[in-house]
Formats: sequence, C-alpha cells, structure tokens
Amino acid sequence: MNGWTLFYHPMTLDFYRLLWMLIPLCAFVAITYKTIRVENLRRLPLEILLLCVYLVLGLSGLGVGLYIVQRLWM
Amino acid sequence: MLALLLAWLVPGAGHVYLGRNTRGVIIFLTIGATFWIGVAMGGVMTVDSRNERWWFIADMFTGVHGLVSWQRQDHVWNRLLNEDGQAQRLGQLDPAQQQALLDKKLSDAGLALVAPTDTVARAFAGVAGLLNMMCIFDAALLSLMGIRGEATDRVSQGRQGQ
Repeated sequence: MNGWTLFYHPMTLDFYRLLWMLIPLCAFVAITYKTIRVENLRRLPLEILLLCVYLVLGLSGLGVGLYIVQRLWM
Repeated sequence: MLALLLAWLVPGAGHVYLGRNTRGVIIFLTIGATFWIGVAMGGVMTVDSRNERWWFIADMFTGVHGLVSWQRQDHVWNRLLNEDGQAQRLGQLDPAQQQALLDKKLSDAGLALVAPTDTVARAFAGVAGLLNMMCIFDAALLSLMGIRGEATDRVSQGRQGQ
C-alpha cells in the first residue's frame, strides 16, 4: 500500500483477525469500570483480571450460542 | 460542575481534580488508548459526523480526543469537496447522488472505511466515549457528594485528626 499513513488511512484487516480485538476491548472496559468502582486500589489488578475474563468468556459464549442458533434455525 | 467539565474535556482530569490522581491517570491512558486504537484501525473517517450520527455522539464524550478527530475528519471532507470546484457541482445534485459522489471520492483517496474494519474501529472509538461518559458521571457524583481523595487517605487523615 503506497503512501499509507497511520491514523489517516484505514487498515485492511480480515474478519477473523478482527475477532481477536474483542480481548483488548474487554480489557479496556474492565480497566475503566473497575478503576472507578473499586474501593481499594490494591485490589484493582485482580478485579480487572476477573472482570476481563468474565467479559471475554461471556461474549464468546454469546457469540457461539448465536452462531449455533443461526446455523440450526435460519 | 468544574469536575464534570474537566472529566469531559480531558478523560481522567475530573478524577485528578478530585484528588484521585492514580485513577485519573489510568482513565486518561485507557480512554486515550481505546479511542486511538479505533482511529488507527479506521483512519481519519472513523469519527464521521455526517453518516454515523450515533457513533459520532458517543465519540464526542471522549472530549479532546473526539474534538481533534472531528476536526481532522471535517478538514479532509472539505478538502475532498472543494477539489476541482466539486462543491458547486454537488449543490446541483440530490442527496443520494451527492453521497454516491462523496463515497467515490473517499474510495479514490483510499479513505473509505468499509466492513468489517468499520464496525470494530467505530466500536473502539465509540466505546471509549461511553466509558468516559461513565467516568464523567462518577466525577460529577463524587463532586456533588463532596468526596475528595481516596477513601484510604480520608481514613488516615481522620486518624491523624483524633
């Protein structure tokens, strides 16, 4: 790609690679949410890790469930 | 009110203003990273005030990040419109034709944001805005309740006062 500039031109990414972006997105949501919610900052890394795992597993499960529903009934 | 304004303008600044420096810095870095990862994936058209109104509203909650991106997008849009006196010609077209012409110009310039990158890029930028909205409410509520600093700081100050 000639003259490609970061933050200016869009990246060309395939769908399956983009699915991995769910993990950083969940991590950022977990960090921000727990940063304002947690009482003691010492517990912050553990709370973030737990919420991030819950989010990734929950959304992956939802995705797999919807994929199965779509395959079987649509 | 100042906490609310600061929290909107610079993500995390509301918390720093309320004496929650660590939280403010974490919020600043996280919201900034989320937003700019989205813009890095989607390019300058990620923040699109004309075609993606709902995402645009969410983007604007990131304060300075959203405003800078909006200005960049507007600058590129106006440059494309004014190429070869196209702006005058566009006035003679109906909205659908205008949109088709502008889409073609974006595509020719290599700036068109297409699926599936558009969804993920806009989700990152928009989620950054929604996360900052949560932080703005938190800073505003803490300010209204008169809570300043960390709970641990207040406990230690209370002990010193006894």
